[in-house]
Amino acid sequence: MERKTVSTCPFCGVGCGIVVHTRDDRITWVDDDPANPSSRGMLCVKGRFGIPFVQHPDRLTTPLVRRDGELQPASWDEALDLVAERLLDYRGAFGSFASAKATNEDAFVQQKFVRLVMGTNNIDHCTRLCHSPSVEAMLVQLGSGATSNSYIDYEEASCLVVVGCDPDSNHPVIASRMRKAVDDHGTKLVVVNPKRIDLASRADVFLQPAPGTDVALFNGMARAILDEGLEDRGFIAARTEGFEAWRAVVMERTVEEYAQACGVDPHALRLAARLYARPPARRGLPADERPGSCLAWGMGITQHTHGTDNAHALINLALLAGQLGRPGCGISPLRGQNNVQGCGDAGCIPDSLPGYQPYRDDVVARFEEAWHAGIPREPGIKATDMVERIATGEIRAMYIVGENPLLSEPNLAHAGDLFRRLDFLVVQDLFLHETAELADVVLPACSFAEKDGTFTNSERRVQRVRQAVPRVGQSRADWEIICDLARRMAPHVGVDPGQFAYRSAADVFAEMARLTPQLRGISYERLEREGGIQWPCPSPDHPGTRYLYAQSFPRGLGKFVPVRQAAPAAELPDADYPLILNTGRVLYHWHGGTLTRRVQALLDQVSEVPVTIHPGEAERFGIADGDEVVVRSRRGRLTGRAIVTDAVRAGSVFVPFVKLRESAANFLTNNAYDEPSRIPEYKVCAVRVEKKRPRDTALTGGQPTASRDR
Amino acid sequence: MKVDGRPAPESASILDAVLALGIHLPHLCKDDNLPPIGACRTCLVEADGRVVAACHTPAAGVSEVLTNSGRVVRLRREVLRLTSRMHGPEPDVAGGPRSGEIWAAYEEHGLERPTFPRRIRDGFDATSPFFEFEEQACILCARCVTACQQLQHIGAIGIAGTATAARVTPGAGATFAGSICTACGSCVAACPTHALRPKPMRDPARAGRYRRQGNGTEDG
Repeated sequence: MERKTVSTCPFCGVGCGIVVHTRDDRITWVDDDPANPSSRGMLCVKGRFGIPFVQHPDRLTTPLVRRDGELQPASWDEALDLVAERLLDYRGAFGSFASAKATNEDAFVQQKFVRLVMGTNNIDHCTRLCHSPSVEAMLVQLGSGATSNSYIDYEEASCLVVVGCDPDSNHPVIASRMRKAVDDHGTKLVVVNPKRIDLASRADVFLQPAPGTDVALFNGMARAILDEGLEDRGFIAARTEGFEAWRAVVMERTVEEYAQACGVDPHALRLAARLYARPPARRGLPADERPGSCLAWGMGITQHTHGTDNAHALINLALLAGQLGRPGCGISPLRGQNNVQGCGDAGCIPDSLPGYQPYRDDVVARFEEAWHAGIPREPGIKATDMVERIATGEIRAMYIVGENPLLSEPNLAHAGDLFRRLDFLVVQDLFLHETAELADVVLPACSFAEKDGTFTNSERRVQRVRQAVPRVGQSRADWEIICDLARRMAPHVGVDPGQFAYRSAADVFAEMARLTPQLRGISYERLEREGGIQWPCPSPDHPGTRYLYAQSFPRGLGKFVPVRQAAPAAELPDADYPLILNTGRVLYHWHGGTLTRRVQALLDQVSEVPVTIHPGEAERFGIADGDEVVVRSRRGRLTGRAIVTDAVRAGSVFVPFVKLRESAANFLTNNAYDEPSRIPEYKVCAVRVEKKRPRDTALTGGQPTASRDR
Repeated sequence: MKVDGRPAPESASILDAVLALGIHLPHLCKDDNLPPIGACRTCLVEADGRVVAACHTPAAGVSEVLTNSGRVVRLRREVLRLTSRMHGPEPDVAGGPRSGEIWAAYEEHGLERPTFPRRIRDGFDATSPFFEFEEQACILCARCVTACQQLQHIGAIGIAGTATAARVTPGAGATFAGSICTACGSCVAACPTHALRPKPMRDPARAGRYRRQGNGTEDG
């Protein structure tokens, strides 16, 4: 039987609309959804061709329980009884990771379980590893941590500034919308990246700064704006505070000094500043509308030991130029996973309740009244700290849903040692990945294609996910598994099991919307009728919100935060490790590759970890394009295939963190952290690169295979 | 404006009005969400007595549209006969996602098999792991070109040559794998014949499991 199911793509934060075609319950084709306002009929290679992982034979089909040291199949009752019994012993020493790939409903139930049944706020998710500095800086300066604009604003902007991200690889449909702005409307484009990304070919200004010098660069742009009097004085006076103190810090150095500090041309830096602050009007802009500029950034900004400073420097620029709160402008931390926005909105963060509500007495009381039990008021432990605190015994049991920290944590050998020390580990996921292999109990979860729910994309649009195929094996939706577990534990901890007796995903959403002011007006019935709705949507008659901050900021005034350039990184090159490693992603694989390396066509496209190296360095180390190479840092090593190109800066190497042929970049990266956000410094560490010798092959057992040259 | 005697809603083009009324009209080169190309001429209608391509004729100023007059149906049939000279006569069961459109158009216009000799074009590009291009099914409608350029703004695919030498190509002499194509699949989704079609999804039940290859990365 042929069926079509309208749903939402499970890969990145763009949240494209997909139509899943099935025949006899098998997926045959994934089509775009022209009616989807976020993607407008576009998809990328992963959304269109990357879905077969759903029905891959590697999928977990039954619960697994460790017996005699081996993970062995068990019944749901056996597995959940065991988890319930063990977790009751660890209520004070427990931590949980939620999944930004799961639905809002999954996330909401999980945080409710952690807070209500486990009595702790130790719940977090992957935003800790990607945009926690952005969120931290936005909360301090504006009072909210979400993207302020919509994707349509990229097409309506007169200038786009794209910093420390590679939309062509990570958010391809956003890249398409940006290219459309440039091609169709003459929108000016500024690209800032140590790597010459594809989008740079269309840029009016391309700045290629030395890694880790972003504060100098953005303070330099601010200085240039001030020198030329291009700041928005009306906006600064009416909408901001702290301007003078911030200005004094920026004025400490000249544009030339800033440019020298980051290794860019001062004229180009000035031009970038001018285009951002006062872009020439794009084609078709109404005469009475002020040209707007959008600022979009990624993990090139955040994954540094001064990631929060970097984000502050960017937000200062937006406040200085008044590029907020109108159509065609705004600030966009480009979110990584499909539901990273929703996972945070649903409350899977240690420092606030659903909807970013603080642990204030009145807020906590509202939740306690709704849930008929007490919840803790102390902020919980952040994800990166939970891992470190396994060593001190503060965390002894963990429950990990849809995450694979033994691929995503920095310094993986160290992280592996820590996870092995846990007393009890539960992993709930689709595949038996590196972390699951260490677990005491593994629970098989459903993929997005086998359940109902919602995802919230980067433009705050809540969109439906609909079941397209039958569940694989005995797998179950995350929220159903956790409810089943919670009902077993609730009576022992004074919680009403009825709190976990939802009938459907819609039922869960209704409770979340009731308790979360910005979602209050959204319901499944409305989503069915109107399609995706952008929060804030405070009431059932509210149409949703295209851009934030039109009138005011959640904290009242926008706040300038003075920042100075710190040391570029915790670890810099030296004689033994002479190159700087930069990490990121590759278009054909999703993150660490747990899903996409199970899609043969994607694996055919990129089957080995590509190591991109500058021609000068390649010559120095005797490496030719296509050579098999070994990259070493003080913490580990990987093998990959050399791509020699001047797209990377001299002195640097770029490796995506996908794990292919057993090589993963995070064996190399450093667990040095940015203090305010606790994000690790994935973007810079010192490495050396060598051509792989036969001895190395014997050591790893890897078989050399032909790779695609691109 | 009236279409086949029925009052039509306000629309930008005649085609939009026709489709809004639920009247079936082939439009092999026009994508729902892309600007009209006007290449295939399969949407010919009579507008106030003139025969025009509905996709790129503005509705404004037109009062009477006929999609089913004997004259216009005959003309469309001739256009489709010429189209079928470029396109294989047998429906391909393993066709592309939208390949039903062309077969539906043939059937509606009573075309069972082509009456002109087939033009021989035998290019076949299977270099992409995701899709393949079989030139003998291509009708040069340029939907794929528009999808790549005007939807995704990539421009990996174009039409080279003119007249009977015209052909769809991802760059002069290039293959899809050797081009700037990122395999977003917009061209495959847009193709109204089976010229661009997804490679059959390998049956996951028979696919090889992901195998670990060595353990060499953890030794530091």
